[in-house]
Amino acid sequence: MISDKVETRQLITLGADGVLVRGTYHEVPGEAQDGSHPRSKNIGVVFLNPLSTPRTLIGDSGVDWASSFAAQGYPSVRFDLPGLGDSYGEVAKDLVTFINEAGFAAIAASKVREFTQTFGLPGAVIYGHCAGAVTAVYAAAKCKECKGLIITDPYFNAANMLTPKLSPGMVDWARRSKVGEVLRAVYVRIREARKKQGNGTLPGNANVSLVTHWKKLVSSGLPILVFKSGEPAALGSGKLRAGSFDYLEHIASFGGHRSQLSIKTIEGTNHSFADRVGRAAIREHAEAWLNKHFPTAQTAAVLANLGFSTPMTDANIATRAPAPVSRGE
Amino acid sequence: MVQFTQVQHYPESVLAERAGYFPVPGAHLYTVLHEVEAPLARVLLIGSFASERHTSYRPWLQWARYLAARRIEVLRFDYRGVGESTGVFQEMTFDCWVEDVEHLSRWLRKREGDAPLLVHGLEMGGILGAKAFHHGEADGLLLWSAPVNANKVLRSTLQRWIGPQQLRKPEEDRRPPSHYFRLLDAGQSVEVDGYEWSGELWRQSLGFELPATMIPPNDPAISYRRPVRMVQLGKSAAPLVLGGLLQGFEESKDFSWLFAPNYEWITTSLGIPLEAT
Repeated sequence: MISDKVETRQLITLGADGVLVRGTYHEVPGEAQDGSHPRSKNIGVVFLNPLSTPRTLIGDSGVDWASSFAAQGYPSVRFDLPGLGDSYGEVAKDLVTFINEAGFAAIAASKVREFTQTFGLPGAVIYGHCAGAVTAVYAAAKCKECKGLIITDPYFNAANMLTPKLSPGMVDWARRSKVGEVLRAVYVRIREARKKQGNGTLPGNANVSLVTHWKKLVSSGLPILVFKSGEPAALGSGKLRAGSFDYLEHIASFGGHRSQLSIKTIEGTNHSFADRVGRAAIREHAEAWLNKHFPTAQTAAVLANLGFSTPMTDANIATRAPAPVSRGE
Repeated sequence: MVQFTQVQHYPESVLAERAGYFPVPGAHLYTVLHEVEAPLARVLLIGSFASERHTSYRPWLQWARYLAARRIEVLRFDYRGVGESTGVFQEMTFDCWVEDVEHLSRWLRKREGDAPLLVHGLEMGGILGAKAFHHGEADGLLLWSAPVNANKVLRSTLQRWIGPQQLRKPEEDRRPPSHYFRLLDAGQSVEVDGYEWSGELWRQSLGFELPATMIPPNDPAISYRRPVRMVQLGKSAAPLVLGGLLQGFEESKDFSWLFAPNYEWITTSLGIPLEAT
């Protein structure tokens, strides 16, 4: 009566390396595991948890995107890292610092590898939002099966250096209240502006290791698509905006001719991208990007007929011609 | 630092967690059965409303594991149209959620091995559980922070959500919560935290209440002659209750202060000898 599969979704457990994680696999429609239909040979998409949010993501947006990517020919999996969602495990007391220091990177890389092997895929694109983006970047560097990244609202700071100086009550208020949110954002921007010492120098609170990983990935030519939500209007002071350090620009400047970094700013959505505007924008742009960099057999056939391109293989992923950095705003 | 790269040793109760899709008319509910051999009791957990699901997820799951490790079989699930369950949220009604609870409680009761069934609802799940209990679906009822009516949950969810959203809008586009309440009152839908609330859901929420027999000064234990416990959780129980989660800092919070006395109440009220656990 209870089944582990419904429509194109299947509940899975990945545990070949001795660490069990639970997830949901979204198969490409028409693909079956009984051998009656060939399994997809397209690249897969792996969704990571943003901080401690379960694998559905905010507003269940992850379910929509994974279903949609699968419908376009990209089998997708959403799994819970150990200790998060349905996966068993301890959770670090300071999860933010744990993630910022690549705490989940090794296991995420291992699970991307296991996912591609289990489903016979030529590779996977890792999708990471916010803190999930941090893990995605670290994991990508550790796993050759990662062929690309889709990143939403990444951050580049190390742990909040304001926290130890304030009483726990003040910290709690600043984190929970609306006014506190504005003050925190203003504080961070002022501090960044003050510490900015010139071109190419990172702010004092930068997560240097993370930025270094970003630079390596960008200059290696890994296709990376970054979505940014618009700036909060309440922080609209021109001076503050001018003072804020543009990490992506900094990273892009190190990209060189192989860089395949694309950046899109989605106005009118929020940080989660879970609203109508954000969902639609991610779906549309990510699918176009997937099709461009990792054309499915169908797309490749159509393009080949038109004399444009070749289907993706492991070999031509590595030698793909460089594309210019695009800023989609 | 926690390391996840080596082979882990899992408690037996964790290895016995079975995730699946439970068919109900028109949809499939995502369920996780924390299976127990020869259970002393069974508990159906009904979690909090859509937007609160992700913040309360970990402690709610910890509670399920706490019970399963003590030979109490647990079934938890996602509301239809929410989380891993199928269905379109915008088309949901409170009645269909109650029906789903009743389907699950009947299934759980019919499982092999005679064991009393307790329904446990958190926040909005409290009303759903109370309705099912009122219809005779369980031997006991435990409620954590159940509101008097569903509209209270919707209002507070919208009020909390709207603050950060306003920051992103130019001043001329900012609206107070009352603006959205008026839209919903007028039957329009409003998107909150990625969920499309229909005007119909809002209208129903006004009349979707705890049974009168459960509202003080009535004593539900007397009315039903079955054990009922209603607990109002304070801020210290965040992120189980409204108030949110300080993401990144509160995930490892210890809830044994809450779990232990509630577990003790379950065993006592259902007549389970503590030594058996």
